[in-house]
Amino acid sequence: MQPNMPSESHASKLHAAHYADRMKQIHTTVEQNELVGENTFRLRIAAKPIAAMVVPGQFVMIRLAGTNAPLIGRALAVYDVVRDANGEPTWIDLVYLRKGVMTRALSASALGTAITVWGPLGNGFNNESCDRLIMAVGGIGQTPMLTLGREAVGTETYGDPARANRWSENVELIYGARRKSLLAGVDDFRSAGFDVTLCTDDGSEGVKELVPNVLAARLAELPAGERVRVATCGPEIMMEKVAEVCKAADQSESEPSVTCDVSMETPMACGIGICFSCVAKIRQDGPEQWDYKRTCVEGPIFNAKDICW
Amino acid sequence: MPNTTSLSTTLGRLTLKNPIMVASGTFGYAREMQEVVDVPRLGAVLPKTITAEPRVGNAPWRTVETSAGLLNAIGLDNDGVDAFLENHLPYLRSLGTSIVVSVAGRTTDEFVSLAERVGNEEGVSAIELNLSCPNVSGGIDFGTNANSCREVVQSTRDRCKVPVLAKLTPNVTRIAEIAQGAADGGADAVCLINTVLGMAIDWRRKKTMLGNGMGGLSGPAIKPIALRCVHQVASAVDIAIIGIGGIATIDDVMEFFVAGASAVQIGTANYYDPTVSTRLIDELPAALQEIEATSVAEVVRSLG
Repeated sequence: MQPNMPSESHASKLHAAHYADRMKQIHTTVEQNELVGENTFRLRIAAKPIAAMVVPGQFVMIRLAGTNAPLIGRALAVYDVVRDANGEPTWIDLVYLRKGVMTRALSASALGTAITVWGPLGNGFNNESCDRLIMAVGGIGQTPMLTLGREAVGTETYGDPARANRWSENVELIYGARRKSLLAGVDDFRSAGFDVTLCTDDGSEGVKELVPNVLAARLAELPAGERVRVATCGPEIMMEKVAEVCKAADQSESEPSVTCDVSMETPMACGIGICFSCVAKIRQDGPEQWDYKRTCVEGPIFNAKDICW
Repeated sequence: MPNTTSLSTTLGRLTLKNPIMVASGTFGYAREMQEVVDVPRLGAVLPKTITAEPRVGNAPWRTVETSAGLLNAIGLDNDGVDAFLENHLPYLRSLGTSIVVSVAGRTTDEFVSLAERVGNEEGVSAIELNLSCPNVSGGIDFGTNANSCREVVQSTRDRCKVPVLAKLTPNVTRIAEIAQGAADGGADAVCLINTVLGMAIDWRRKKTMLGNGMGGLSGPAIKPIALRCVHQVASAVDIAIIGIGGIATIDDVMEFFVAGASAVQIGTANYYDPTVSTRLIDELPAALQEIEATSVAEVVRSLG
């Protein structure tokens, strides 16, 4: 059998520098598991150490305890951190789309079902200050954005020690789905104080338009010189288009300066950097050079200009 | 309960403080796991297989879950021996437990020079010859032919000062013959088994799920195959055996001992239960005591 070897190849010493060095494995139970949209569920589990440490854009691996069906954990972004009566981060909420074997099993899990979860994992979004954060998401890609937006506007802090918050003057969400029923948690984003623009493929809610096109129109309205950060999560083809839109706007003299952070989703087996499954092609050392990087520990957030789509 | 149970185990010239090892390729380079498990407690650590040159590995997807198993075609993605010695070995040797370095070559010479070079490094307890990775061309040939197996093991043993373990593939007709080849070559132990060659198909797209087409199946799905291989080799060949294949619970560990293994490697379970390895060390004394054994050796090859 001849492996499908890419032609470029070179040594990378960077693999040595990334670890899931703060993750905790926790045995817990389902405390809430409710339908929040078509085939979309919000799961709540007690996971104090994870709730205390997680920063926006990080994720956890989750699996049903005591079964080999399914066997492997699944990576889910942390949607919300819920505090107890004393204000201590105590629960994490995960929003997932019922799609495959694991999410079908999870959606059928009664309260009290034993769950194993490990995290927080991944690098998370950066929190450098900007004038405007635009979260451009599609499908189930809204899930890492509630915490990110809250941190940006300054209504929440995340991490231990807490990261700086209130790092963006303005926070907007552009959220697209195939149809209205698949939009989940819109009220959460609205009540968090973000400007929300909805779009659907069939026009059943918001504008009948694709997320990258809505983003392009929005960027064209913004003044030159404004520092905009776009954070995107969703189907890979959508993220690629979003990255193109950001690049074009950034190169235009009449539009704002735009950076784009992409939350990559690749199939993972461990989430902690030991299996080398979840690789994405990432540029390094000039435009022709790339390496497979593990999205679990070297991502999942990558600068769009580093991704070889 | 008095703690009179001995967990140490002997594999040819290699003695481990306990029989719970982690399988190569399922534990990174150990540093990834330092905040997850108490790594120095492990009987031995096997870092991800290294090759002479860096390998970028296979195109995604690299893993696909199947029923009670995981199909993988990572393709020995690694930074090569130079980067290993510079970046990983200093940390590994600081752990204070046995370090068994897995190497893979395309030729006997490549195996020998890798094993010689790595085996001469301070802090390396043994070399595991990956004679069986299904995801790269070349390596598997050594594991499917008894003469080739004997030759590569013997050549390595002649030039490598530390114990030599041979990790074999189950994808053969008579695994005991291959194991006999390894024994004749002077291997200190055989590691049984590497992954079982398999594939997964997306029928709608009419494509294989793995970027590489075929891959190696691991996890609980292959445990019966691994137990059978261990039993067959234990029955026919005078060599120490390290059992690998779907081990996730203390029952699994004990079954492998009874079948003939003197130690085990935890593989895929590290992915879906990251703290499993040291938990099994915790659970081992009680399991031995349950059958009134005071050492691992008493249980090895005890199938009635």
